[in-house]
Amino acid sequence: MTSESLSSTRKPGTAFGLFADRSQIVLIGILAALCIAISLAAPQFYSEANVIAILRQCALVLIVAAGMTMLLICGEVDLSVGASLAFVGCIGMDVINRTGSLTLGVLAALAFAGTVGLFNGIVATRLRVNSLIGTIATMMMLQGGVFLYTREAVQNHHHLPSFTGLGAGYIGPLPIPVIIAAIVFVVAFVALRYTTFGRYLYAVGASENAARLSGLRAERLKLIAFVVTGLLVGVAGMILASLMNAGQPTAGRGFELTVIAAVILGGTSLSGGRGTLIGTLLGVLVLKVIDNGIIILRWNQDLQMVVPGIVIILATWLDIVRRRADAR
Amino acid sequence: MHAELVQERGGAHTGAAIEMHGIGKRFPGVIALEEVDLVLARGKVHALMGENGAGKSTLIKIMAGVYGRDAGSINIGGREVALRNPREALAEGIKVVFQEIALISEFTVAENIFLERHPVGRAGSIDWKKIRAESAALFERIGFDVDPAARTGDLPVSQQQMVEIARALAHEARIVVMDEPTSSLTPNEVALLFKVIRRLTDLGIAVLYVTHKLDEVFEIADTVTVLRDGRHISTRPIGEHTHDTLIQDMIGRRIDNLFPRSRGHAKGDIALSVKGVSTDAKLDDVSFEVRAGEVLGFFGLMGAGRTELAKAIVGFDPIRAGTIEVAGRPLKPHDTRTGAGLGIGLLTEDRKGEGLMLELSVQQNMSLAALGAFSRAGFVDETREKAAVQGFVDRFRVRTPSLNQLIKNLSGGNQQKVLLARWLMRGLKVIVVDEPTRGIDVGAKSEIFALLDRLANEGLAVVMMTSEMPELLGLSDRIAVMAEGRITAVFDRDAATQENILNAAIA
Amino acid sequence: MRKLLKTTLAASVALGALAGTALAQNTPKKIGYVVNYATHEWYQNVIKGMRDRGQQLGIEIEVKDANLDVAKQVSFAEDFMAQGVDVLIITPVNEEGVAPLIRRAKADNMPLVLEGNPVKGMTTMVAICDYDTGYHAGVAAGKYAKEHLGGTAKVMNVGLPLLSATVLRSQGFMDGIKTEIADATMVHDLDGGGNPDRALEVSSAALAQNADINIIYGINDNSSLGGLQAWKAAGKSQDGLLVVGTGGEGLAFINAMQNEPSYKIEAAMFPEKVGFTAVDAAVKVFNGEEVPEHIVSPTAPMLGEDWKKFYSVEGTTRSVNWDGINGVQAPDKCMKTAADLKQ
Repeated sequence: MTSESLSSTRKPGTAFGLFADRSQIVLIGILAALCIAISLAAPQFYSEANVIAILRQCALVLIVAAGMTMLLICGEVDLSVGASLAFVGCIGMDVINRTGSLTLGVLAALAFAGTVGLFNGIVATRLRVNSLIGTIATMMMLQGGVFLYTREAVQNHHHLPSFTGLGAGYIGPLPIPVIIAAIVFVVAFVALRYTTFGRYLYAVGASENAARLSGLRAERLKLIAFVVTGLLVGVAGMILASLMNAGQPTAGRGFELTVIAAVILGGTSLSGGRGTLIGTLLGVLVLKVIDNGIIILRWNQDLQMVVPGIVIILATWLDIVRRRADAR
Repeated sequence: MHAELVQERGGAHTGAAIEMHGIGKRFPGVIALEEVDLVLARGKVHALMGENGAGKSTLIKIMAGVYGRDAGSINIGGREVALRNPREALAEGIKVVFQEIALISEFTVAENIFLERHPVGRAGSIDWKKIRAESAALFERIGFDVDPAARTGDLPVSQQQMVEIARALAHEARIVVMDEPTSSLTPNEVALLFKVIRRLTDLGIAVLYVTHKLDEVFEIADTVTVLRDGRHISTRPIGEHTHDTLIQDMIGRRIDNLFPRSRGHAKGDIALSVKGVSTDAKLDDVSFEVRAGEVLGFFGLMGAGRTELAKAIVGFDPIRAGTIEVAGRPLKPHDTRTGAGLGIGLLTEDRKGEGLMLELSVQQNMSLAALGAFSRAGFVDETREKAAVQGFVDRFRVRTPSLNQLIKNLSGGNQQKVLLARWLMRGLKVIVVDEPTRGIDVGAKSEIFALLDRLANEGLAVVMMTSEMPELLGLSDRIAVMAEGRITAVFDRDAATQENILNAAIA
Repeated sequence: MRKLLKTTLAASVALGALAGTALAQNTPKKIGYVVNYATHEWYQNVIKGMRDRGQQLGIEIEVKDANLDVAKQVSFAEDFMAQGVDVLIITPVNEEGVAPLIRRAKADNMPLVLEGNPVKGMTTMVAICDYDTGYHAGVAAGKYAKEHLGGTAKVMNVGLPLLSATVLRSQGFMDGIKTEIADATMVHDLDGGGNPDRALEVSSAALAQNADINIIYGINDNSSLGGLQAWKAAGKSQDGLLVVGTGGEGLAFINAMQNEPSYKIEAAMFPEKVGFTAVDAAVKVFNGEEVPEHIVSPTAPMLGEDWKKFYSVEGTTRSVNWDGINGVQAPDKCMKTAADLKQ
């Protein structure tokens, strides 16, 4: 919630203004340009199947990115989300196999992922280990730990249709993961934008000392952000396990980078205090449209790394230009 | 040997070291400087004064080559110079010692001094021995004692400043610009700095001394130039100025009494009671009480423990022993959340580091502590929040284009008002203010001062840490003096004089 | 040469426990194996095969994991040589790194067998043929398509262009399928990174673009399963689809073959057999017998329930039916190798 978003989101009478403000213009422009360019070259881009494929991929990233946005806003980061994502799927699948209950599996997954978040939070706020370092360590522990837990993918022995539905099902025309992501997004958006909790997160990220001096429990707020991120990884991990129909210990490689790239692309500051969830949503969409477009256009898939790199620099630079222009 | 060179050049000891005429600089939407003239004489101290935003910083940044100029000429030794970048400025003998010290704290003092030009030995390796020897020689020349092998970051700010000055000599600087050099120095260190400045002028160096502080100008400067709103107002020998004329030039109006002596405040019940507070860091058995509507001023030299006391009694820093009660209720657990709940808050001396959220708006900064009061079930009622913020902006006359302006774009005085409002919006019984007018220009100082006076009259207990004598004597009902973490004396308003306060502070 | 190999294999299968005693005076006592990356399922199975064969022959097998670190690999190998193992087996982390090791072993008269990748100066290497593996799976897929898919073959290759081995598999598959269906085409050539979530993601996009895909080929099980899951997530019926996987390293493919109607073919690479063959090769090298430079470890496409001939599953462990696997014929040499790719 930069100053701009506080002010301009309340420009009366513009529906557009409610959801995006000037700070998002660059990303909206990039997204529109990408969609137009890709669809001109490959009309299948707008096919229902492809739009759903993109949205489903976006859903996984967005669910975790919502938590990551909160973390970055309060000045922390979690690099263990990819490793946790894989572990969560294995545990969830295993528990469902043993109990035959989707609910228990999901609860186990959430409990595990939430505990990982809590652990990260405690390391960062109590032991005061920089979260960049602390969560890399967690990532290593999880990556190794998952192999201690299972050498190979945990197969689906329960064949619960509800489990398959989690990733591949639909409610009406919408895939279930997209609906879950939408709910997560709305809740996180409201929390960041309209609640004291959200406002405090910005404050802690903008200046932890100022927040503390003002009577805020900065550490507890950060801890909550870590746990929320962890829980969201739990949600995403179960969806991914359902999509893959297995708990894959090797899944989630580089997932944390995709998530962080999307959040940063969305204008959230690595140093804390600045960022919006709308920006994150746009960042996720831009990255996943690029990913999809490169396959649709049959470009060399190595460009799936190169192009987002270019776009991140381009978008950040354009945003600086825009700010400068706004300041005049 | 560098110093010898300087001496040779300084042989004439007269004439202009640098002449700047008609300097102009625009930023988007702002004219920062217009038609400004400044001529520095060799071997003289020239003070540059003006309120915040007057254009002092822009002018010295142009001299340092940080900014380019849009208009005007700069002559050094009769030759027009471009000063396109800091390197060129350095090559022309201009060295600026900025407020934020630009030394590499991990390097040794000697390494910092010779950072850009390490003497190289026969094998192409750096000649450390020579570096250390030359550093020591430089320090001797400016009459200052620092170990060249010390890690720079371990030195106090005052000594780091000396390293910067030594660096100027190493660069054979002929013009040394000092930007607010005393803002974090103790009186002893200021005296030492002045001694060094006089050494520099003896060597024929022209010194441009940028400051807010009137007393210092009268002590050290030969000539004073005043800027206001980016324009040149006056340049006069110091002898032609009085405090009043200087202030008049700076703010463009007369302030008869900058810190009007308050009439004294009516006293109520005990609002804050501190008993036997000690900390691991500094404080040693500190006890005092403040009543509602009373201003208790704390004076002490640097390192006396005022800031530590301020942070401890609001719950920010932990204490080892003692009790703190706000309106009869103990500050337990000892944290700021409890403190704020009981009604005690701190206006910090470190505005940037502990007070402001620079990237957030005026509104977000001001409502931070009171946000809970504007929210229902965790949701912020932004209409009420905005109304309250607007109310304080009007009441305190905070000059900001809008509530959504980023706080970093406000002047120091207006920032301070926002931070004060942050607490008052929440509703306090006791406010602890630490150097409330630091880094604030003269006009805003008197506003803050009047505001604190008014708040005390409205029944707030004020604990004020300050190193500014006029402020201390003007506002306080009682004055406590600290030295080395203890309270050494407490004076009633009528019994306090500058002399007995200083005596107690040195003891 | 071929005969020789066959005889040894046949002998070992037929004689079983007898083999241990019969060859006792000529068997090495201890073999040291420096694996490049023991965490990988493939190598777990290779080690398992070595241990099984070692037990049969009464040879102690000691394994050390270089964990993708050449320096570690060299020092472990040196440790083994200093300990006085009789034969050294190495899966090279990289070719340049172990070349000096091979020279050392030669100088010290230390018998050495490589697994997986060739290195200049080596005596012998045991490895599967990636191209052949893909090729035979392709032929089987072509036959299946003729019978069940109306003779069309639109292939989505969930590949991994980074590695020559996986490129060979994809090439082999396409060449094989074309022997049955001449107008078979590769509709989409994807980089699935060899991992399941990435394979799922890229396949989703490709399937959305090309609705006519009817065969998914994966260069490993993660890739074929990722492709299949993308197909399922898109809400498509598995009628008229054929999924072909490669590797057969774990339980995933067995699970898929039992539960997914389209997962009909798995190109098995029998990693256990690689280990088995490597031990046999080690024995020969130890005895100073003539060995070919490349000893091929057999692979074979498994259709439908075929896997039960080679593996049996109990709970979450699978065990090898050596009789079944040892019955698979290995060619003398590969149809195509990495060297052919470079030309």
